[in-house]
Amino acid sequence: MTTEQVFTDATRASGKALIEVSGVDKFFGDFQALKDININVGLQEVVVVIGPSGSGKSTLIRCINRLEKHDHGTIIVDGIELSDDVRNIQEVRRETGMVFQQFNLFPHLTVIDNITLAPRQVRRMPKKEAEELAMRMLERVKIPEQAHKYPGQLSGGQQQRVAIARSLAMQPKVMLFDEPTSALDPEMIKEVLDVMVELAKGGMTMIVVTHEMGFARAVANRVVFMSDGQIVEVGPPEHFFTDPQEDRTKLFLSQIL
Amino acid sequence: MTATAERAPAPPRASPLGWIKERLFRNVWSGFVSVVLIAVVAYMGYRAFAFVFINGQWDAISRNLANFMIGRFPRDQIWRLVAQILLLGLGLGVGAGTASGTARDKAEESGLTYEPPTLLGTLRRFWSLIAFVVVILFMAGTRGPWLVAGGAVVLGYIGWQSWRLPRTVRLLSWLVTGLLLLAAFQVVSGTDGLAWVPVALVVAMAAWLVVPVDRLDSPWRQLAGLGAAAAGVAIVYLIYQEIAAPGVGWDQWSGMNLTLWWSAIVITLAFPAGLLLGLARRSSLPALRYLATTYIELIRGVPLITLLFMGEFILGFMLPAGTSLSSISRSIAAGTLFTAAYVAEIIRGGLQSLPLGQTEAGQALGMGTPVILRKIVLPQALRAVIPAMVGQFISLFKDSSLLFIIGVTDFLRVRAIVHAQPDFRVVAHAETLVFVAIGFWAIAYAMSRESQRLERKLGVGVR
Repeated sequence: MTTEQVFTDATRASGKALIEVSGVDKFFGDFQALKDININVGLQEVVVVIGPSGSGKSTLIRCINRLEKHDHGTIIVDGIELSDDVRNIQEVRRETGMVFQQFNLFPHLTVIDNITLAPRQVRRMPKKEAEELAMRMLERVKIPEQAHKYPGQLSGGQQQRVAIARSLAMQPKVMLFDEPTSALDPEMIKEVLDVMVELAKGGMTMIVVTHEMGFARAVANRVVFMSDGQIVEVGPPEHFFTDPQEDRTKLFLSQIL
Repeated sequence: MTATAERAPAPPRASPLGWIKERLFRNVWSGFVSVVLIAVVAYMGYRAFAFVFINGQWDAISRNLANFMIGRFPRDQIWRLVAQILLLGLGLGVGAGTASGTARDKAEESGLTYEPPTLLGTLRRFWSLIAFVVVILFMAGTRGPWLVAGGAVVLGYIGWQSWRLPRTVRLLSWLVTGLLLLAAFQVVSGTDGLAWVPVALVVAMAAWLVVPVDRLDSPWRQLAGLGAAAAGVAIVYLIYQEIAAPGVGWDQWSGMNLTLWWSAIVITLAFPAGLLLGLARRSSLPALRYLATTYIELIRGVPLITLLFMGEFILGFMLPAGTSLSSISRSIAAGTLFTAAYVAEIIRGGLQSLPLGQTEAGQALGMGTPVILRKIVLPQALRAVIPAMVGQFISLFKDSSLLFIIGVTDFLRVRAIVHAQPDFRVVAHAETLVFVAIGFWAIAYAMSRESQRLERKLGVGVR
């Protein structure tokens, strides 16, 4: 797969790249977690990243909002290049929402306080306005009645939906999902995936690291397969699942499908 | 709150005789152990009873109550202590009321009804302290102490009514609390010299906070806040120029009064200092980190006694010539330096107990480090270390009994005054020791219970 191909694919969805990742390497000590990653994500595009554990999927999306610092190459989010400049990093993080495998809700705050914290502290939104926004977001993830509970009183699926609402309250341009359903009991996976499908339908740009192949098939514009820190294959789901080109992709798909 | 799981029905209660048979005399061996232990406990109980009610020479204490409470404090200035106790009652009352008001707002926000603490509940919370005070009052045998204590309780109750005040004046009532506590201190120590500094600090902080943060753009906000704070400092300074009057310097403070103030001041200073040190030790700036680590490891390797001596003999060389510090100021400095190092380590433990995901979630939402610390990390880390922190403070409170080595007469050292009296030169040593021990215990135990209560309260909804 050449760089040109990736770029063409990337701009297919809308013609404009929101995220441009080119030539990115990332090392943890001697271990190279990302090797020459090139991928663009267009506005309103949904990209699903799959691959075996340790293949660098999570590291890749964590580089996009600078939770990890990449060592070589450039990452540009909505025209802002990620550098050591703290202001650039803050600006990028304000425009990218992230949902974690372990939810990472703030256990000492109620659900509504979890959601209003960032709008009030970062965007300096008045309390009342922030709370109205939070309620709208909770309605979007279909749990407004839980607003005054603490995260510890909710089920895993509800917690993850609160985490999504918390990210949405910052009105991000792109949402990053880091294995959002991997820590959930099976019966709760659907309620979270439903919310994500709704988001995608609403035109949100999304990068999703997941093992949910059904979701990838139904929602993704493109599927990215990673292995050993490299992007092995990229393609629209209808081709990717039925007619994979690379041997490693075939092997992986045969193991999980 | 979710309902607690239903408990299994309790087993039918055995008759008392059956209970004794089941628990104490199940077989020959357990019967033997029970008999021996009951005999030992009964004998010790008898001896304790005889000591307290028959043999004990408790007049060593009842005749020296004033010495134990205030030691060498000049007796013609006692009106200052009376005013202090009354102001403390009012100040602590307003403080407790303001805290309750905050709890009420929080409860109402979550759609719960707030239940103010009951009289019985308060008595149970502080029973060890209350029992100690009541015993002292009975031993005093005069009307004065009862009136003062009663007055403080009444004022405390009046102050506590501040829990009914609306949220808009909460900051104001915290300010009043701080000023009342400072007034309680300064009514004894006097209003001359640098007395205006702590008051100005409290007022400046309140003025800084009172500027409406959400309304203004940031440069104006900073400027308006600074202006208000500066105005507050100036006003306090001018007032203090007018009312400057010397009091009783704290080189004359002693007894229980000194022990309590010394501990309270050291705790108040050591907590923020330790917090900053603990954060510095985990800072990403190497210079700050090494400095904090060096300080902490140096101080923790030295006994408190050594630091107290160093404060007494070495601190003088490091201060500008001509400044003189009382032994108590030096010991407060030493105690603060000492305790801050331990507090820093406790706080570091709390910081490390938090999953990294909490910080990352804050970062991913675009928050800067100060906001993440203030709103996410510290509230959780501090809650996690309440038991260790209170343990440290209890230990410091008891360590105040080391102050005698630099010539300060603390609560324990009052015994030296008592046993210098002809009547008690050789007798009643055990009685005075027991009394001092109970005094320390009553306060330390109240602190411990409050810490447990705080833990339970803050643990609501968090698993």
